[in-house]
Amino acid sequence: MTLLDIKNLNLSMRSFEGETQILHGIDLKVERGEIWGMVGETGSGKSLTGLSVSRLIPPATGRYLAGSIEFEGRDVLKAGEKEMRALRGRKIGMIFQDPTTNLNPVFRIGTQLVDVALHAGHADPTVLGLEPGASSRDLKKAAKRVAVEMLDKVGIPKAAERIHDYPHQFSGGMRQRVLIAMAMIGKPDLLIADEPTTALDVSVQAQILKLIHDLVAERNIGVLMITHNLGVVAQICSHVAVMYRGRILERGLVTDVLKKPSHVYTQALLNSIPTAHTKRGELRGLGGVMPEVQ
Amino acid sequence: MLEINNVSKIFPGQRKGLFGQAEGFKALDDVSLRVTRGKSFGLVGESGSGKTTLTRCILKLETLTSGNILYEGADIARLAPAEMRRLRARLQIVFQDPYASLDPRMTIHDIVAEPLVIHRDIVPMTSRQRTERVLELLLQVGLRAEHLFRYPHEFSGGQRQRIGIARALAVKPEFLILDEPTSALDVSVQADVLNLLHRLQEELGLTYFFISHDLGVIRYICDDVAVIYRGKLVESGPVADIFERPTNEYTRMLLNAMPDPDPDRSPFRTVASV
Repeated sequence: MTLLDIKNLNLSMRSFEGETQILHGIDLKVERGEIWGMVGETGSGKSLTGLSVSRLIPPATGRYLAGSIEFEGRDVLKAGEKEMRALRGRKIGMIFQDPTTNLNPVFRIGTQLVDVALHAGHADPTVLGLEPGASSRDLKKAAKRVAVEMLDKVGIPKAAERIHDYPHQFSGGMRQRVLIAMAMIGKPDLLIADEPTTALDVSVQAQILKLIHDLVAERNIGVLMITHNLGVVAQICSHVAVMYRGRILERGLVTDVLKKPSHVYTQALLNSIPTAHTKRGELRGLGGVMPEVQ
Repeated sequence: MLEINNVSKIFPGQRKGLFGQAEGFKALDDVSLRVTRGKSFGLVGESGSGKTTLTRCILKLETLTSGNILYEGADIARLAPAEMRRLRARLQIVFQDPYASLDPRMTIHDIVAEPLVIHRDIVPMTSRQRTERVLELLLQVGLRAEHLFRYPHEFSGGQRQRIGIARALAVKPEFLILDEPTSALDVSVQADVLNLLHRLQEELGLTYFFISHDLGVIRYICDDVAVIYRGKLVESGPVADIFERPTNEYTRMLLNAMPDPDPDRSPFRTVASV
């Protein structure tokens, strides 16, 4: 069964100025073992596509005009809130861009990890290595153990001690690792990473990419990686979808799309990256406003 | 044009008890570099490496622990406040975040005109002349006359950065500090801003001090580059030399960590599912 199957997704968002259609018929299939890169400029709808999968678009402003998002055969757009809560953080893991704002500054790292582990454990105790129907005391104990294990796994040295630290005692790269650990606790089958390395230094970025790559190799999960960095896509992704104004213009294997882009927009996007051979003044921008594409 | 000689900056540690003090933090450790007139000098380093501290020292927003900074031969630490004010008009800065560096309650006109008002003793102008100058600047950075009385929130990130550049250029400076001017922008917009900076440099003969953690951007826009790591300068020289033949281990690591948009050069490709 296809892990994630987005079919003809149409989303509109309301604001003070009225309703605007943001996504125009997105189709995308993610299988296990695939890392899909979604690239596009600010406002192209890549983040909203990612948020739709875990149904985190506020219902007050967002409205789905048409389409379905099937996760392991179930349409998440039709699922109840209770069902979604069981999926989020459990079957579908999420990592967001800014590691500083996504951790609560007043709680210890450990407390926040244990919270997530308990949430996952209540839904399915096997995630924490327990028999179904385990007592809440066992759950708490196991949650603590798993929190340390995961922190250790994402490469935080002395995890058992650092778990008592507060977020501000961690560097940006370490905080992002904590978020990845948090996303991985529920042993998700699908990981949605929205600009996971944008706020980080290149050397830390390389470590985080390796971490995500190893997770895929080890657990055979599917990843939807949202980014505007084509370099990151070239390094880690197996497939790529190029988004523009709420549409997917081009998709395919990274090796095909980035080496032989068939759409002019993809070409233009690639041309705007300065490389070793770009002479000064030769770089091509796209004018800052997204031109209309047929 | 700018000479930085053995500059160190130590931030004092926390006080302990009445007389004790924890060890300070060495933000800059014996940094020396030279910026040539009319060229672009790039400073590369990761977060926390001391890039921003160094720019703050150049602008005399920090006092040095040791060493000196000479601007056209004059030690900026010894300048009288009035002289420093005059120098600040020739030495302007463009900030990293175009969303945070423009006052949301000021019109574009007022934002760009502000340095002209502050330095009115150096550039005496009537308010009409000021408006004309602002208009000229907006056109120069690729904005239009109709943008004059709008507010920052009506502009995109790239346009806001152009406004920031126009403001920095208002008093006709000769030296521009660019503190990660494109890191908050999309690559497509970044390309336009970089081209704008390149064009302005050719037209106005500006000297750039360009700070970035993006090696690709530095390679594109700069003539010389210095790599800073934990407050120490690890390597410096012409861009071609540093990028083609890095001698330092850290520089090499940084270059390797740079994500290459060519999928064939990915370190992971062999294992990924294809």
